[in-house]
Amino acid sequence: MKRWIAILAVIAIAAVLPLLLSPTGYWIRVLTFTLLFAAMAQVWNIIGGLANQTSLGHAAFFGIGAYTSTILVLKFGISPWIGMFAGGILGGVAALIIAVPTMRLQGHYFALATLAFGEVMRVIANVWTSLTGGPVGLSVPFVPPSIAAYSFKQLLPHAYIALIALIIVTVIFEWIRRSAMGYRLRAIKENPAAAEVIGIDTTKVKLQTAVISGVLMAMLGTLYAQVAVFFDPDTVFSAASISIRVALIAILGGVGTAIGPILGALFIIPVEELMNDLFSSGAAGLSQLIFGVILIAVILWRPRGFITVFDSLMARFSNKARP
Amino acid sequence: MSKTTSHRGDLSRRTLLAGTASLLASPMIVSSARAQAKPVNIGVIMPLSGANAQFGINSRNGIELVADEINAAGGIKALGGAKINLIVADATSTPTTAGTVAQRLITQNEVTAILGAFASSLTIAISEVTERRDIPLLTMSFADQITGRGFKNIFQIVAKASALGKAQLDYTLAIAQASGAKIDKIAIMYEDTAYGTAQAAGLRAAAKAANIDIAMDDAYPLGITDTTPLINKLRASGAQAVFPVSYLNDSLLLIRTMRQQRITIPAIGGAAGYVIPDFEKGLGEFAENVLSIAPANYDLAPDLTERFRKRFGYFMVHEALEHAVALDVLVQAIEKAKSAKAEDVTMALRGAKFTGGWTKAMTGGAVEFDSTGLNTLSVPVMAQWRNKELVTVWPKDVAKGTAVWKS
Repeated sequence: MKRWIAILAVIAIAAVLPLLLSPTGYWIRVLTFTLLFAAMAQVWNIIGGLANQTSLGHAAFFGIGAYTSTILVLKFGISPWIGMFAGGILGGVAALIIAVPTMRLQGHYFALATLAFGEVMRVIANVWTSLTGGPVGLSVPFVPPSIAAYSFKQLLPHAYIALIALIIVTVIFEWIRRSAMGYRLRAIKENPAAAEVIGIDTTKVKLQTAVISGVLMAMLGTLYAQVAVFFDPDTVFSAASISIRVALIAILGGVGTAIGPILGALFIIPVEELMNDLFSSGAAGLSQLIFGVILIAVILWRPRGFITVFDSLMARFSNKARP
Repeated sequence: MSKTTSHRGDLSRRTLLAGTASLLASPMIVSSARAQAKPVNIGVIMPLSGANAQFGINSRNGIELVADEINAAGGIKALGGAKINLIVADATSTPTTAGTVAQRLITQNEVTAILGAFASSLTIAISEVTERRDIPLLTMSFADQITGRGFKNIFQIVAKASALGKAQLDYTLAIAQASGAKIDKIAIMYEDTAYGTAQAAGLRAAAKAANIDIAMDDAYPLGITDTTPLINKLRASGAQAVFPVSYLNDSLLLIRTMRQQRITIPAIGGAAGYVIPDFEKGLGEFAENVLSIAPANYDLAPDLTERFRKRFGYFMVHEALEHAVALDVLVQAIEKAKSAKAEDVTMALRGAKFTGGWTKAMTGGAVEFDSTGLNTLSVPVMAQWRNKELVTVWPKDVAKGTAVWKS
């Protein structure tokens, strides 16, 4: 009961926060990207945390989603809302295609195989100029603002859409974690051979998580495209700024927990922005350097993620609550 | 007890008095400060980290030079000597970050205008933000899309990539002809970025128009580590001239591999990596006589550009020069508008012609924007490496030397 109150309180705060920021301003944009990256990291968490498969290729699905909805609106005038589901289907198909040969790989080998897939997609998007616009990238057309066309003059609606997306993917994550599937995944995580012995079809379960993760990641690609308005193959299929970053956010926050990716994103995205704001007018590259140093320090301080800070705070709080 | 009370009362009365006085005085202070000189904030967004950092630093140096000169000469006269306050920010190499930075400069720093961001993809991302917020954006990025989208608040100070690609070929043909050589077979290699592909498209179209056979037409990924297959293909193609379009590291690798393999055909670079001091530093004697197209060159206005060399210790590379011109034009527009309000400045920029100051360093000797925001007076130049300096060798009417053509 108490838990639910706490969760509702957090959601209420999150719902009010965008209203306090200037609707055309800078911090609302940062908040939107923070929520979006939290959602992306949560989606990554489904496969990376629950199935214990460290994917470094999630940019592939993400980019597929961004390109699908944007191409549909550019060429056929189809609303990104519909394009988002089309992208989701393609993202799921792509996830299935790579998952079949790679799911038997474990640990580093799986990570490396998925890393290559994002890069392959980048090259395809670069070369297939007639469809993707090539290296020049695509601009989402600015149509008269309306909810149906997924077009807004201000960033406020985007912030709420990102918040809703984060809530939805977090609920999906928790639901999977608590379902029978979650138990199977945990069994596989503990000992794959033992899981097979007790009758779990490990490949099938891993495939299911890969596809769910791929579908959701592609759908988030559409949200990103609508906020960023312009993107090119290097942006959406980027290993560093998408694939590795979402993994980093989830790992830094606490892998395999629902709250971890949210904590990770709340730290990484605003701090990176703040460093850019504070230091980028000084020596060139200084802000990135300082951000890197902070990241290293934080990882050394909490190697198992921010969730451990959260847990110890909660423990202290509940200890105090007890007489 | 009573003493303390009275003491407290005393204090508060004094505070009250002081507070009232300062409250009364404050509008005077504010208004007098405003009347004197409220600095004009100008945003500078450049890639200051990542692969294009050197170009971003060069650009920032050019802008700082002009800003300091204008401030030293008494600031913006029409605004009562207001100083220029540059707000520099790192775009990194991600367009989304560039967009976020632009949003920050507009809302947090209330910039009048933004200058940036060298790489076309970054500039396009920034323009999506500035266009929605009606803030003028002045750029020297080449991509055709920049002024090809009907945006009202964007100003492209140089010729487009397609025009550069066309000039790269046409000038080369003219130079070869002037020295009695004839070209009928060429090779194109370019990196698969927005800049590389757009310029290669211009080259290709010009070659087709001039009836030249393209024996090789290859794209390669940015940051290529082994250029040997490309160079082998070049050798087999039998091309009489090669047109590489790339940023710095790739340009060094390509030319070095070529020259080491004793392929001596003329190389005509596509600006970017071919026209900065690091090119000569990295290649030494291999750099000698390499040609490159450029949107502008420092030897056309040495009286202006030597000031840059004096301060920063290297010649004024074209991106520094064009950004200097961009700031000069912007300040002229502010003077003309007698206002630092973004929409007034845009009005003053649109369709106007700017002369004098740094605009003299551009080909055409002035800057004039058409309705799309493109500077129609800018014509590319061909430069050639001679003894660690870049010499303008074409078009003939602005050339400072004769091109060396050896095949």
